[in-house]
Amino acid sequence: MSNKISSSVPTDREVVLGILNNSEEALNKLYAGYFPMILQFILNNNGDEDDAKDVYQEGIIVLYNKIKSGNFELSSKLKTYIYSVCRRIWLKKLSQQSKKSNDVTDFDDLISVEEDVEQHEEKDRQFDKMQSALLHLGEPCKTIIQDFYINNLSMQDICEKFGYTNTDNAKTQKYKCLQRLKKLFFQS
Amino acid sequence: MRNEIELEGIIEDYLNGKLNEEEAKAFEQLRLNDPSVDHKVVAHKVFLESLNDYASISDLKNKMNQVHAQIDVETLSRQLGPHPSFIVNIWRKNKAAIAVAASFILLTVVTLYSIQQTTQQSGSVELVSRELAKIKNSQSNLIRKINSSNVVTPNLKPANFGGTGFALTSNGYILTNLHVVADADSVYVQDSKGNSYKAVVKRKDSQYDLAILKIEDKSFNSLSNLPYRLKQNVIGMGESVYTLGFPKDDAVYGQGYVSSKTGYNGDTTQYQVSIPVNPGNSGGPLLDHDGNIIGVISAKQNQVDGATFAVKSKYIQEALNSIPNDSLGTKVAFSKRNSLQGLSKPKQVNKIKDYVFMIKVYK
Repeated sequence: MSNKISSSVPTDREVVLGILNNSEEALNKLYAGYFPMILQFILNNNGDEDDAKDVYQEGIIVLYNKIKSGNFELSSKLKTYIYSVCRRIWLKKLSQQSKKSNDVTDFDDLISVEEDVEQHEEKDRQFDKMQSALLHLGEPCKTIIQDFYINNLSMQDICEKFGYTNTDNAKTQKYKCLQRLKKLFFQS
Repeated sequence: MRNEIELEGIIEDYLNGKLNEEEAKAFEQLRLNDPSVDHKVVAHKVFLESLNDYASISDLKNKMNQVHAQIDVETLSRQLGPHPSFIVNIWRKNKAAIAVAASFILLTVVTLYSIQQTTQQSGSVELVSRELAKIKNSQSNLIRKINSSNVVTPNLKPANFGGTGFALTSNGYILTNLHVVADADSVYVQDSKGNSYKAVVKRKDSQYDLAILKIEDKSFNSLSNLPYRLKQNVIGMGESVYTLGFPKDDAVYGQGYVSSKTGYNGDTTQYQVSIPVNPGNSGGPLLDHDGNIIGVISAKQNQVDGATFAVKSKYIQEALNSIPNDSLGTKVAFSKRNSLQGLSKPKQVNKIKDYVFMIKVYK
């Protein structure tokens, strides 16, 4: 009953090495390769295209974290791993929306991924916390913090970008912003 | 304020490993001495890690969104999504349930049907005369022709139908079923030794499906006295009985018991007997354990196992009475004495087999 998924799929080894080397091409191939499988699964189990996108991206993030953390072993096919993770995530979402999820139509083999999904949920909470903290921080603090910590700009660059008279002022500003962000992050 | 900014800077440098060895040592000493500094370090560490995770994940999400934008999601979902038709979806999702329901219905129908079949006694009666396999016979015929090319006997043509019959008198009167010899052009009987004699149908009794043949063949010698006798009384249910017949070219013994005093659809002229019979058994004698003839095998009910019907001996006597006395030669067809009484089955059968004939009918 399942339609054959025709898109070219990279080999598992290729993907793992690509992710470890931060290769964008590997990500592209991986993403395009397995998306139809998850789309099919979600569409046939009470979901729409957006659900598929969300669930699939979460699944890929789980895989990324797993590979990057270094304890990823190719004990199963990547396809099976991704499918199992996405299935688990989708079932949780369904039960949260209290939709029926007892008879799921399956399209692939399954492996147990309970632990990985739980770890991911913890990380996801942290991510959401940070996101909302940054959102509440407001401008220009948000940009200063992002530039300094995420985009790794130097204090000098920031000073010029925001037109501070000297780096000390910029530093003071960054310090204030950081304190506020920390407060938001740890309190929420 | 100033100090705190500097402290923050040092903590960051410390966490990023930018301090030189001496500074790091001094800072670690400070952490040990001042718990508030230590707390700040730990908190900052957690915070930085979260920030890094956030950064990498949002980076990953951005990249994925870019890839996603290139995928033609709509076409894919048309291909992979559930069928738009409601019925097709129902079928896909509930295949298993539908299959179970269907097989249940099928089972119920079959069960009901079979119950109806067995309770109505609607099975038709199959007369157990035998249509001889023409091909087989013509083949053996062919072989005989090759082996002895110039010997042609008048009997060479294979018989079409076969049945069983048994001697009523020692001078060649034989009883069989009417349906065995009905519409016959010519009838031959064959004894257990394989001798074939021409016979003619002397009397037909369509009411009881009985026929009496007379062997009219010069080579036929009178039989010795009949070992069995005709038992007139009605026999009880459960009585064990046996028969000898010719469902194949050799005599076959069958054993069973009287299962009902009436025959097909309550026919009082017949017994129902539970005995395995096959086409070719028609006309065979039905004997009780003492070797008394109690009936003639005539039919079996198809679709019901072990329901064979036999004409009661009383009607054999009636048929016998209808033969003109002078032609019987001796007045008494059956001896009063039953020489088989008390003998074991194999001995009884051995004696009887000379008086049981295979009827071969040409139409």
